[in-house]
Amino acid sequence: MLAVMAWRNLWRRPVRTGLSLISMVLTTMLLVFMLSFQLGIYDTMKGNALRLLDGFAQIQPPGYLADPDIRKTIAAPGDLAAAARKVPGVTAAAPRASTYVILSNGELSYGGAVIGVDPTAEVQVSRLQATVHHGRYLAASDSDAIVLGDVLARNLKLSLGDRVTLLGSSADGGIAADSLRIVGLFHTGMAEIDRQVAEMPLARFQESFGLGDAANVIALSGPSLGAVQRAQPALTQLAQSQGLVLRDWAALEPALQQGITLDFATALFWYATLVIVVVFIILNTLLMSVLERTREFGMLLALGMRPMQIGRLVWMELLMLSVMGNGIGAGLGAALAAWLQVRGIVFPGFEGALALWGLPPRLYPTLSWTSALSPPAVMVACIALAGTGVFLRLRRLEPVPAMRAA
Amino acid sequence: MKPDTQVSPIVRCRGVTKVYRVGAVDVPALSGIDLDLAPGDFATLAGPSGSGKTTLLNMIGGLDRPTSGTVEIDGQEVTALSSGARAALRLHRIGFVFQAYNLVPVLSALENVALTLQLLGVGPAERAERARVALDEVGIGALADRRPAYLSGGQQQRVAVARALVTRPVIVLADEPTANLDSTNADGLIGLMSDLNRASGTTFLISSHDARVIDRSRRHIEVVDGKVVSDDRR
Repeated sequence: MLAVMAWRNLWRRPVRTGLSLISMVLTTMLLVFMLSFQLGIYDTMKGNALRLLDGFAQIQPPGYLADPDIRKTIAAPGDLAAAARKVPGVTAAAPRASTYVILSNGELSYGGAVIGVDPTAEVQVSRLQATVHHGRYLAASDSDAIVLGDVLARNLKLSLGDRVTLLGSSADGGIAADSLRIVGLFHTGMAEIDRQVAEMPLARFQESFGLGDAANVIALSGPSLGAVQRAQPALTQLAQSQGLVLRDWAALEPALQQGITLDFATALFWYATLVIVVVFIILNTLLMSVLERTREFGMLLALGMRPMQIGRLVWMELLMLSVMGNGIGAGLGAALAAWLQVRGIVFPGFEGALALWGLPPRLYPTLSWTSALSPPAVMVACIALAGTGVFLRLRRLEPVPAMRAA
Repeated sequence: MKPDTQVSPIVRCRGVTKVYRVGAVDVPALSGIDLDLAPGDFATLAGPSGSGKTTLLNMIGGLDRPTSGTVEIDGQEVTALSSGARAALRLHRIGFVFQAYNLVPVLSALENVALTLQLLGVGPAERAERARVALDEVGIGALADRRPAYLSGGQQQRVAVARALVTRPVIVLADEPTANLDSTNADGLIGLMSDLNRASGTTFLISSHDARVIDRSRRHIEVVDGKVVSDDRR
């Protein structure tokens, strides 16, 4: 009967209960949608950044991340890549070698990174080939071929079909040099890549820089970042068995990881502020409802009801209200996020700003259990916790003063 | 005024005083009350406003503690009990009828009566049956499903009487039960309580200055300035 009383008490003041419900519904709906949107943007940022070049994870020699020295190598990259592809959650593994070189055209010289790639495997890990806007990407049959970032090519006053000279250090410490024909120019939109990076066939790289059959890293990909993250234990074990280490996306892109962490922390602050404001609104409503029923509570105490039972009754009302409001809000927020997850959201006029963050013009929320359930769970928990104050206040209620209350 | 020594009393008050602190001033509400109520008494507690009737009723009902003195209900010392134990005593042994704010507005008449049974731990089927019988006894069984807002003042007080009696208490304390009723309803309510008192033998102590109530009572206790000034049996 306490539950019946609690439910009916909620509707004694339908307008007030309705307003409380609306405030919770709107807040939770906003929180669910915003969290889904935010997580969706993070996924897009990570996906775009990692798919462009890094891959979702990499197997590297120890210390290579801090000091990418060409001499830190993986001895049998083909075998390791094949083993990595067998790990559930991993669909592609591409061996790479890279070093810093001077790229020259006559008297013009610029420093940059040249990466040796297996074109067949590389296109399954990196979408750099999709950004080639002049010429073509590397082919498996290529030997005398290189693709350059378009800014780098412009700086060197080079165009398709021209030759570019590479000068660097070989794995044995000697001078390494090569001259390759430009078959493609790419534009990623990320300035650092477009003005500093070139890709050439792995076999030619190994020959030119004295690597033998070795590579420097194995770049990994999968159907999603999450799938590869779930495969991390098996991949770590595989890497360790070869005396190597697995680097996850956060290690490969620390600036992105820090940026996301900072952005999320800031958002959490605002979410928390919103939750606190709504909790206080609900608490204030509850307190009003308790104060105007003090005489009724006094009568119930006189009949023999315990203050704890009255506290439980009021707490039950609060829980019913918050579960209902947050449930509806979460449902609506999830529905909105699910709808926009398919349609996407466009921010006209902000395309340039979004591109700076590596984001496309159309953004998609990502609805997940976390984004759908954590806002209502936090709201209900905070409201229930705040309600304990009223609960404790009711514990001190005495029948006579309560019945005399105005 | 002398305690009845023939039978063991249901209520025994000895030297009950109550002093309220209002600011820096002590205001005495009760000044050494000695009072016994015997099983089956149908007594009125009369007196002018501020004489201490409600305060005495609160002391007997275990709703408040006296500043000094003792109150026993059915042989149990009330004043020494914790608030939890006093709540249990009220639930098991005492029925209350108040002047106003008597019923839970969101519960039907039947649910209001059944509420105290639920607090006692009575199962759903039994409490519904007992509540229905109690409502029939006070003559409003047909209105069992109505909420208080759809009952007249007299009907609401009858529900309150049914609720007070449904737990089979040793005493029913009624504080100005007819104050908000018209004369017809007041007469009906007093008649009902009197009949129930005769039928069940439950002791009734009714605080009232309504002449109709006083006329129907078989014992009339007059309180003035916190003291029992007369105690007449009829």
